Amino acid sequence: MFFYGFMQRAFQASVLISLMAPMLGLFLILRRQSLMADTLSHVSLAGVALGLLIGVDPTWTNILVVILIAILLEYLRMMYRTYSEISIAILMSAGMALALVLMGLNQGGVTLSINQFLFGSIVTISEQQIWMLLALTSIIALLYLIFRKPMYILTFDEETAFTAGLPIKTMSILFNVLTGVTIAVIMPIVGALLVSAILILPAAISMRLSKSFNGVILIGIFIALTGMITGLVASYEYGTPPGASITLIFIVIFGVTAFVKKMVQQIKQGRLFNKKN
Amino acid sequence: MHYIKVNNLAFHYENEPVLENISFEVNSGDFVMLTGENGAAKTTLLRNILGLLKPTKGSVTLSSKNRWGEKLVVGYVPQQVASFNAGFPSTVLELVQSGRYQRGKWFKKLDKEDKEHVRRSLESVGMWDMRHKKIGELSGGQKQRISIARVFATDPDLFVLDEPTTGMDVHSREEFYKLLKHNSQDHGKGILMVTHDHEELRHYSDKHIELVRKEDSPWRCFSMDSCKEPSKHQSSFH
Repeated sequence: MFFYGFMQRAFQASVLISLMAPMLGLFLILRRQSLMADTLSHVSLAGVALGLLIGVDPTWTNILVVILIAILLEYLRMMYRTYSEISIAILMSAGMALALVLMGLNQGGVTLSINQFLFGSIVTISEQQIWMLLALTSIIALLYLIFRKPMYILTFDEETAFTAGLPIKTMSILFNVLTGVTIAVIMPIVGALLVSAILILPAAISMRLSKSFNGVILIGIFIALTGMITGLVASYEYGTPPGASITLIFIVIFGVTAFVKKMVQQIKQGRLFNKKN
Repeated sequence: MHYIKVNNLAFHYENEPVLENISFEVNSGDFVMLTGENGAAKTTLLRNILGLLKPTKGSVTLSSKNRWGEKLVVGYVPQQVASFNAGFPSTVLELVQSGRYQRGKWFKKLDKEDKEHVRRSLESVGMWDMRHKKIGELSGGQKQRISIARVFATDPDLFVLDEPTTGMDVHSREEFYKLLKHNSQDHGKGILMVTHDHEELRHYSDKHIELVRKEDSPWRCFSMDSCKEPSKHQSSFH
């Protein structure tokens, strides 16, 4: 399997996605925007449909549409501050509706491509996509290293960040845009329906395992690598869709870690109780 | 030197007046307590001062420089910190260290002096031994204390504190007030603090602003009683 060019590219893509996913995923969870990834993936389908309709490379229309919606999301989040999930509900349905309408306008020929974007296809990863992923991972890692401290404060409490003099609106918009571009680049590989799971789950699992902020990111990268590589091998061996296989592996890791953590807690509590008696 | 200057401020929530005719100053070295009954818009006033809300009328000027001509650093402790982002994956030490970022450390490593500040801040609220605990595992009172430690770690020029002593025992409150007094008196820090403990705090503060309900208004609208020196003839701690 490792001698096939497409599998080599698939493994390269998996490693790169594993490095970036926990960094973005953790901030998405802490900003209570886990569903934003889902919204942007639905919207990016509309971007793909637009590209196919007007005969332009869908990667670029996808990135453009997702950037616009990522900015709009921040404005809607500010507008409905207390019920910020409203912005997600509005744009998710708008994105899906627009995608369906654009697909309807461009009848025939597009079904296969749309299917690829919906469910992902790791075997069709091109060298250009690997380079794009490499550039994106480098940018995200660099931005994380530079802006880790301001993002920590912004994520902890926006009002404290504001009084500390941080440009919270600009930072929020740029973060949304970066998330949008990431989703647009990853989506053809893992599929629109499961892209958010791959971004969110490694960070969600590692949040339960580490006490510190940096610890969550490091453990998240390890979990992402484990899930992505295992899922990819399983997908190759059993001929299952890669995005779905990877997501199921993450869900299994989530279940196992939750169970083990609970058992460890109970054993600790039991020891404490025995000591007291 | 004025750190805060509020001039004839009014604030309306959807055309309903909440605050009117508010004017006062907080200078370098001032320890000002802000009191008023529950729902007297004390937090709303603080949020106007910090720029989180925009006054409907009048103006708020927050100085951009401290008394040495450097950038003014504001330390804010919001109300109900006990309910703060409890699931946030951070240790007590990480959170309190983040108070130092405002001191020109957004893109630099914390040095020995920063770490010493953090240690002293945690010790001052009795939380040094709990520095490796996850913040979500703390009780409400402990969360309150690390929020205070965080603001002390910042070493701000201006403290803006919204009921920071909620959940503290009498002894801890007394220690906290002494520490604030030391900061204002000996280091020229400006302090504006919302409190319900005005009987205790009047022995330490220099000015008392009380928000009282306007009797001539059909709305639940509050205004300043006056800006007065608190009477200090009797200690409530004894």
